[in-house]
Amino acid sequence: MNRALRRRLANYIFVGACLLATGLAVLSLTSLFISLFWNGFSGLNMLTLTKDSGLIAAQDPNGPQLGGLYDGIVGSLVMSILAMVAALFIGIFAGTWLAEYAGESHTGNIIRFLNDVLLSAPSILVGLAVYTYIFIVMTWHNTPQYTYSGLAGAAALAILALPVIVRTTEDMLLLQPAQLREAGVALGASRGLVIRQIIWRAARTGLLTGGLLAFARISGETAPLLFTAFGNGQSIALRHFISGIADKTSALPLLINSLYQSPLTVNFAWTAALLISLAVLAVNILGRFLARGSRHS
Amino acid sequence: MTMNEPLSSASSCDDEPQYMAPPPEENIVLRARKLNFYYGTSQALHEVDLPVEKNKVTALIGPSGCGKSTLLRALNQIYALYPKQRAEGEIIFDGQDVLGGKVRVDSLRERVGMVFQKPTPFPMSIYDNVAFGVRLYHKKSKAQMDELVETSLKRAALWDEVKDKLNALGTGLSGGQQQRLCVARGIAVEPEVLLLDEPASALDPISTAKLEETLTQLKKDITIVIVTHNLQQAARLSDYTGFMFLGKMIEFGPTGALFSTPKSQRTRDYVTGRFG
Repeated sequence: MNRALRRRLANYIFVGACLLATGLAVLSLTSLFISLFWNGFSGLNMLTLTKDSGLIAAQDPNGPQLGGLYDGIVGSLVMSILAMVAALFIGIFAGTWLAEYAGESHTGNIIRFLNDVLLSAPSILVGLAVYTYIFIVMTWHNTPQYTYSGLAGAAALAILALPVIVRTTEDMLLLQPAQLREAGVALGASRGLVIRQIIWRAARTGLLTGGLLAFARISGETAPLLFTAFGNGQSIALRHFISGIADKTSALPLLINSLYQSPLTVNFAWTAALLISLAVLAVNILGRFLARGSRHS
Repeated sequence: MTMNEPLSSASSCDDEPQYMAPPPEENIVLRARKLNFYYGTSQALHEVDLPVEKNKVTALIGPSGCGKSTLLRALNQIYALYPKQRAEGEIIFDGQDVLGGKVRVDSLRERVGMVFQKPTPFPMSIYDNVAFGVRLYHKKSKAQMDELVETSLKRAALWDEVKDKLNALGTGLSGGQQQRLCVARGIAVEPEVLLLDEPASALDPISTAKLEETLTQLKKDITIVIVTHNLQQAARLSDYTGFMFLGKMIEFGPTGALFSTPKSQRTRDYVTGRFG
């Protein structure tokens, strides 16, 4: 076999392997979406979207027909938003500190290491930890009935989102050229002002991506919510928002977990799964749209 | 000037800086004196003297790594961003020693502006880029700011190209336009001195010519210090030139004399292209 032929063959094998791998990835993703739509789409109607699941849905043979996913939708939405607000606020500042001020300092490196540990921590541990803290505090406070709450769920989710945001913020800020900082400072601006008005703005697409990744990570989390939000068949009413969020709170992943247990309600679990996937998809598309818009404006 | 005194027999000619016809003392607006500069433990500048005459262009030339950018970055203290970098000696601006710690660094940088090697437009509109520095110090009405932005862009020879898209992103301009935008941004705060660190090295010949034209216009009322690798550019633009090598000022003098009749052998070799 001559050399040209051998090279061509090696090239074919390599490209073939790449194609095969891509095909497998696309195939698994498509099959996932097909089964989501196949099983979940039938449940996607006004009743599902506007009625609570009800505590007895799984036990009552007529329950599934009566119940919906509304409480889970509201609960997931509220907890995700709260978690993202908290995690974005803390994460962007922490990431900024790491990128702009910590340098190679000892403290900075320790925080980076801990953040990486948190990034790969099993989510059920985070849920357990939050549960334990809150249980101790609430018992000491003589209000153990508030051990499970939507706030606790949001806190657990925030802890899961935080390391993603810290990591991406630091990486994205470090990508900004040092000369951009120098140019700002050379005009007489302070470091802080340069970071706020120039560096953050230059890195906003990346910061947004970090937020999206974090949201994608927490949107399907079930384990940390089992010990914190716990689940509740009722949706949070806007009028009683504070007491609602301070009590047990429904979430779509929790509903999937409970509805999947019974053959009568299994389709609702698929619908809930479909809703989560669509939400992640929508947020991703929105993020890309926003990122592109800011680049061309 | 002490530098022109007869050299002691022990030192060879090239080890002592040569100063030909330095600018008159009363016209010096900025000067480095016996400046040593350190990156951590490695010393990048050795006892450098640099007199900068008001409303003239002073060029710094020399091979890569000779310390000319370092010297420039010391003049407005931009190195102070990096904790491991430090300067010793004197940098006298407006009668005060900048290194003495008594001069506020932000007001120093307001009066001593800087343009960098690569264009550094901020991620905001062309208008806001120019207004950025001004907003740090002055509260201006919309009309005043509009006027200042227009004047600055005109002085930087960019106005005609951007007047219809002042709200477009500065980062969307071409490289040459971006660099002139940075010049406009730098002069909008009306600095007394403008430091330019190889401002044309990333530009094509046409943009370079436009930038040089801009600088020639500017020197009527701004003092300019420019670091350049381009000897023709130094010869075209500057009134004084300093030749640096291995962190030392080898020779300083009026540009014509330094290029035609350099005193130091090293300078001669460099300006005739024999090394560097």
